[in-house]
Amino acid sequence: MTKLSRRTVLAIALAATIGSAMPLGPAHAGNMRIAFGDLPGIESIQTLAAIERAKERGVGVELIILNDEDLAAQAIVGGQADVGIGAPYTLIQKVGVPIRLFAQISTLRFFPVVNSESYKSWKDLDGQEVAVQARGSGTEAVMLLMAKANGITLGKISYVPGSEVRRNALIQGTLKASIVDAANRRALEAEAPGKFTVLPVDNVSASDEALFATADYLKSNAADVDILVEELMKTGREITENPAVAVELRNKYKLLPDLGADGDKEIEEYYKETAEAGSLALNGGGTDAATGDFAFFSLAGQIEGDPATLKVDDFWDVSAIDRAVAKLGKK
Amino acid sequence: MENSLRAERGAVSLASHSGWRDQSILLRFMSIALFAGAWEIAGRIPVSFAFPTFSDTMVAFVKLVADGSLPTAYLSTLQPLLLGVVLSAFLGVGLGTLCGLWRAGEWLLIPVFIVLQAAPVAAFIPMVTFIYGIGMTAKTLAVMILALPVIVLNTYKAVRNVNESLLVMCRSFLGTRWQTVAKIILPDASPVIFAGLRLGVAAGFVGVVLAELLITPTGIGDLITFHRSRADYAEMYATIGSIIALSTLTLIVLQWIEIRLFRPEKRGA
Repeated sequence: MTKLSRRTVLAIALAATIGSAMPLGPAHAGNMRIAFGDLPGIESIQTLAAIERAKERGVGVELIILNDEDLAAQAIVGGQADVGIGAPYTLIQKVGVPIRLFAQISTLRFFPVVNSESYKSWKDLDGQEVAVQARGSGTEAVMLLMAKANGITLGKISYVPGSEVRRNALIQGTLKASIVDAANRRALEAEAPGKFTVLPVDNVSASDEALFATADYLKSNAADVDILVEELMKTGREITENPAVAVELRNKYKLLPDLGADGDKEIEEYYKETAEAGSLALNGGGTDAATGDFAFFSLAGQIEGDPATLKVDDFWDVSAIDRAVAKLGKK
Repeated sequence: MENSLRAERGAVSLASHSGWRDQSILLRFMSIALFAGAWEIAGRIPVSFAFPTFSDTMVAFVKLVADGSLPTAYLSTLQPLLLGVVLSAFLGVGLGTLCGLWRAGEWLLIPVFIVLQAAPVAAFIPMVTFIYGIGMTAKTLAVMILALPVIVLNTYKAVRNVNESLLVMCRSFLGTRWQTVAKIILPDASPVIFAGLRLGVAAGFVGVVLAELLITPTGIGDLITFHRSRADYAEMYATIGSIIALSTLTLIVLQWIEIRLFRPEKRGA
């Protein structure tokens, strides 16, 4: 009797395991599976709204949220997702899988922040310790570029992943000089007004987020891709013209419901700043974006070779943005 | 006739230990060779674009050792690992013995360690960083959170389940409380305590890698994340392989020390 019941229990457990694994199986064919490399935050409103609008125009979209940008890129190569978000130049160059970027969403915006009791300008950072995101990351490249532009050499560079972690460390005083994203820079100014100085960053232009997919996917799903690119371009232009649109879009499509009503103010401020800085791509990037990216990412060590000799076609498929610009006009 | 001869030969080869031991070394090497071969084939198919061949991984390993990045990485990884493991070993065996001997201690402490052992510890690590920041303390603690429960629980169980007749014998020879602990309980419990220590060391390796991947990328964790972000998969696998190899080697050395120094009766086996 015990034997029988044990066997039954095991059988039920096995059945339950297999049953619960079923919904994780392959997605509906025909849907565009878009992989986010991070939990969508306020900086994703533009992309999320463009996706909603593409849905309205009949494109089936399924969102996949992953923990890491590298994972998103791997999901594209492995065929578990169709469109990724990020700037996977390293992967495109090293892995020899035909992935192509096809539309830029926004350019990088990072803010070197220093404790104003210790430092006032770039010159003061000569030989000093700074903290950046990770070895070979965009934040490190921004710091190195600006150090070079100001004729100084940075001292020890330590790696502290997470802008919010560096923000907390700056407030606690464990870090004196670091670099954070827009949201955390504003938080720093709000939490400790006057305690920190934001150092100027000029002439740094590189992709923060861009859409990418395999070359095959772009070829065989051109119609869906075109709709997504058009909507992305339109949303970017609308928000740049009037940042308040971002809040309207959020409420219209009920995006990021977890943020609650407080999110609106934050989103408005964020996009006001982003629009003023011209960080949203109005024409989808393409060749211009690629040239900036080559220079920036080879300095970061993510691309090998002389930026001047790299070919745009090896990294980008500009046909979708060309078609969208032809339809919507150039801005 | 032939059959019986063959049987005899079988019996002889089974009985002669040295013959078997030679073969067992051969078999072990074959097992490693088979694994390497399967890896090489899987890498050549390839299973995934991110899966390098065995030979590429070995070349990457030699390169990492030669340019000094792997030794430097280990220098920084081993600090929290050693500190955490040594602290856990002393604290764990001490606490475990205490709980095994003293009922009040058992009720107070053992539930905590059972919960810790059952908990998905990776989820604790962000909490550790909130309290202890991102430095060496947090990493050492991550090692201890993983290593301590298994050492404490094994020691406690071993001490609690000491052979009753040995205890009775000690009492009948008028052994003092101290003699009971030092001469009967600890020696009798030592095999299980050592098993717990080995498990604890293995858990410590898990802890240090988790900490270096989740807290700040230094040492081995830095090499893994950096090479992954650069799509240098051979280097990434070489790093992962090296920490697995080091962990295995450490466990083998521990077992050897245990048998040599503490359990002479097992030496011949």
